[in-house]
Amino acid sequence: MTRLARITAFIVALLVPCLSALGELRFPPPEFESGYRFPEMAPLPVARPALYEYIDAALLVVALLLASYLILRRRSRRAIFGLMILALFYFGFVRDGCICPIGAIQNVTLTVFDSTYAIPLAAAAFFVIPLVFTLFCGRVFCGAVCPLGAIQDAVLIHPVRVPRWLESGLRLLAYTYLGAAVLFAAIGSAFLICRYDPFVGFFRLNGNWNILVLGVSLLVIGLFVGRPYCRFLCPYGVILRQLSRLSKRRVTITPSECIKCRLCEDACPFGAIREPTEDWPEGEYKIAKRRLTLFLLLLPVLVAAGGWAGYSLKERLARVHPRVRTAERVYLEETGQVTGTTNASDAFRTTGQTSEALYKEATEIRGQFAVGGAWLGVFIGFVAGGKLMALSVRRRRTEYEADPASCLACGRCYKYCPKEHERRKKTREAVGGR
Amino acid sequence: MTQTTEQARTCDTNPWYQAARTTAIVGAVFSAIFTVLLVVNLVGSGIIGPWRENKLAAMKVQVQKDSTNQELLAEIRQLDLKTRRDRFWRLEFADKATHMLLVSIIVLVVAGKLAGGMAKEPPRPQPVVERGEWQVREAKQARRAVAGGLAVVAVGMLLLAMTQWVSFVQGDDGGSPYASAEEKHGQWHRFRGPGGAGVSAYTNVPTSWNGKTGEGILWKTPVPLKGHNSPVVWQDRVFLSAADPNARQVLCFDGKSGRLLWTGDVPTVPPASGEKFEIMEDTGYAACTVATDGRRVYAIFPTGDVAGFDFNGRRLWHKSLGRPDSAYGYASSLETYEKFVLIQYDQGDGKEGKSRFFALDGLTGQVAWETKRQLPSTWTTPIVVDVAGKPQLITVANPFVVSYNPADGKELWRADCVGGDLAPSPIYAGGLVFAVQPYAQMVAIKPTGQGDVTKTHVAWKAEDGIPDICSPVSDGTYVYLLDSEGLITCYKVEDGKKVYEHELKEQCRASPSVVGDKLYILTLKGVMHIVQAGPEYKELGKCELGEECFASPAFVDGRIYLRGAKNLYCIGQALAGGGSGTK
Repeated sequence: MTRLARITAFIVALLVPCLSALGELRFPPPEFESGYRFPEMAPLPVARPALYEYIDAALLVVALLLASYLILRRRSRRAIFGLMILALFYFGFVRDGCICPIGAIQNVTLTVFDSTYAIPLAAAAFFVIPLVFTLFCGRVFCGAVCPLGAIQDAVLIHPVRVPRWLESGLRLLAYTYLGAAVLFAAIGSAFLICRYDPFVGFFRLNGNWNILVLGVSLLVIGLFVGRPYCRFLCPYGVILRQLSRLSKRRVTITPSECIKCRLCEDACPFGAIREPTEDWPEGEYKIAKRRLTLFLLLLPVLVAAGGWAGYSLKERLARVHPRVRTAERVYLEETGQVTGTTNASDAFRTTGQTSEALYKEATEIRGQFAVGGAWLGVFIGFVAGGKLMALSVRRRRTEYEADPASCLACGRCYKYCPKEHERRKKTREAVGGR
Repeated sequence: MTQTTEQARTCDTNPWYQAARTTAIVGAVFSAIFTVLLVVNLVGSGIIGPWRENKLAAMKVQVQKDSTNQELLAEIRQLDLKTRRDRFWRLEFADKATHMLLVSIIVLVVAGKLAGGMAKEPPRPQPVVERGEWQVREAKQARRAVAGGLAVVAVGMLLLAMTQWVSFVQGDDGGSPYASAEEKHGQWHRFRGPGGAGVSAYTNVPTSWNGKTGEGILWKTPVPLKGHNSPVVWQDRVFLSAADPNARQVLCFDGKSGRLLWTGDVPTVPPASGEKFEIMEDTGYAACTVATDGRRVYAIFPTGDVAGFDFNGRRLWHKSLGRPDSAYGYASSLETYEKFVLIQYDQGDGKEGKSRFFALDGLTGQVAWETKRQLPSTWTTPIVVDVAGKPQLITVANPFVVSYNPADGKELWRADCVGGDLAPSPIYAGGLVFAVQPYAQMVAIKPTGQGDVTKTHVAWKAEDGIPDICSPVSDGTYVYLLDSEGLITCYKVEDGKKVYEHELKEQCRASPSVVGDKLYILTLKGVMHIVQAGPEYKELGKCELGEECFASPAFVDGRIYLRGAKNLYCIGQALAGGGSGTK
């Protein structure tokens, strides 16, 4: 079987589980003749005991402790992979991919902006605990505990290197996604991250067809491009990137000093290995200074333009909010601009609320989006300007190292380092000699 | 020998590699098996399932025609059971197979990755290269990529900005929840058109037709149920209501073709006593004319049931006002003002305090305002007219002509000047409100007063040729009366001086209308007399419909809609587009 045939077969195999999502109950209730008594309604499923939330949080801590040990001390890719599969099984398939730290961003945001919302303990724990671990140990959560990362990592068969410059551009998407997710959660419009979680359908073996197709597409891309969601879309990853820069202990390619053998250059499928820097050509420093000055001046322009653009989009952004959508639909129906009704407009009319009150509410929500949209634009402008400045500054590196922000702590690079082999040999000898 | 070959040979002899490879193959085989099973199951669900369901549906239709066929009933039960069992079995199978497929894929991926890892060629030392310029170039490309990313976000925002959104400020998009008075002016939105005046906004309406030969008749459509109410027209939609003891319907016809577009049922709440609802035959079960606000159409029936429908026939709301206590049966028609549906709900003898004037919110059917009236049953229809730039809602009920503010139902003025059982509706023309007390008098009132204006604002009274059923009509200079025996009496608006009277010697139930400088007078036998408006009676033409007519005609651009006892007629020419007429 050729490689192409294998890949095709694999893609088909990935798509097939989605087929069951097409199944739906089409039957009307049975048409029994008189005399039949319908059985009593089955009782509603009992809510999941709160104890399980504590168990989940405890398991997360255990998993992260184990991951930190395996990544930083044991330095075993095989063990990391094993833990990753276990995490995928429990946090993904057993817990149906919920709650996850990525989605918890929205719960935390809503807690901040809506005093009536009580954040579930699990959501708060899942948001905070990985951040704490990242602050001390780097992105160990991404490396061995995140089920979304794990499913992508598991399917990575033939990694293709994405040019680093392209990665810099694509990463802007994740920042935009984070900004949008925070905005919509803050206004109580939608939990975008959950709604468009591409892998939750696999974990639940069911789901929206479009989202399943999105998930399959990402996995198909993930056959060749390592963890595309984590690198270019994950909003939680954006936060982890910044915290990981501050972490004291994190993944190092070599266990001791780097001998610059270059064996690890292509080890990372996620493009996180940075080579030692060298002096720039003569004259480049002056140009770099001028460029940096220009970008410094450009930053407020980008921020202002982003803010203005976000503000201008308030009515369009507000359409994500169900009340605004309902208000628009009701208005169109009542002004005879559309025919027929929708479930939402029908439901609204049963509430007895006046359409004027609905329009007023929708207008207020649009006002919130005016402020929120402006902040979103400011954020995007700031990130873009900041990136441009960061890329204009010369970095100094004397050895090969894993970029603290980009490194997903998967442990693939360890075995590429001759010093690591030396360490392992010594360890084996020490164990054998005892 | 190359290193790759060496690697391959090493792998082949490595038992772990062999185990991983074999496991991967087993995983692949199982994946393939479960994939095939799922596809087969899906095909089965998609083909066999619907085929059985369609067959079942056809059998159910058949059994409705032959309900005594026990063999067929048993067959249906068997097939129904089989279909359901099969469906649930397939769902369960798909669930299990998906799980198994997932496990197989996991085995395949894990084992395949392990085998691939073992077979992977280790890296080799690379020669040292100069990276200074390369790093500068890479940083430059990265900056461009960030700029490109920003451009992508900007394009996304631009595309988003190009999408439509809805402004809730009325007029921003040309739409409003109800038609303006200007929009209503060109339509026939209630009984006797705008203001209930019976005056056409267009002069290009037909003057010649013959129902028997079909000359000048654009279309003729049977009306499924009876009703004495008049047609209401909004653009190309013609609305009627119709009813019998068991059903109440709103009917919508296509004005261009006469096709019945939809029928909307109006439910009723039977009285707790179980008493059967009966009504005088002359009034009928659908005497009240419907009304529209240009967005929705509303109907009321003598049972006290009111309903609102959108223009697609979807019933938006239904409200029961309670069975009205009305001697001849409730017959007041509806009026609309802005978003309100106005209902003059007079009943009883006036002493029991049963009468109300309701303004319902047309969107929801909820009561927007309500005014109690110590007045007895009446059969007149209220009008909303513009008096010196302010709207007035004018009602007539024994013994008062009462004016309200239609926005909140607050009384503006009243005149004690009418009595008896009142059927003719008021009109407003030449700055005067005309109210009719059957067989007794017509009163002209100046609607500019406040409080009780009986002694101060009654301009004049007339006592000859006073109608009992038909409402008056005026061209602004003269006011014309038509009684049910066909007597036409003309008065001067200015001073109430009688100008002429003429006997048609035909029974009339429909109210007269004015089209430009012509009077249109429809008799019970369906003969339309077209008469020159003015100080002398001069008949210009006579057109026969060939069918009894109780309802008043509706006049729109180039057309007349007439409701006969059994059919709805459109008289006029087929128009390429609307709005070509002369206002």
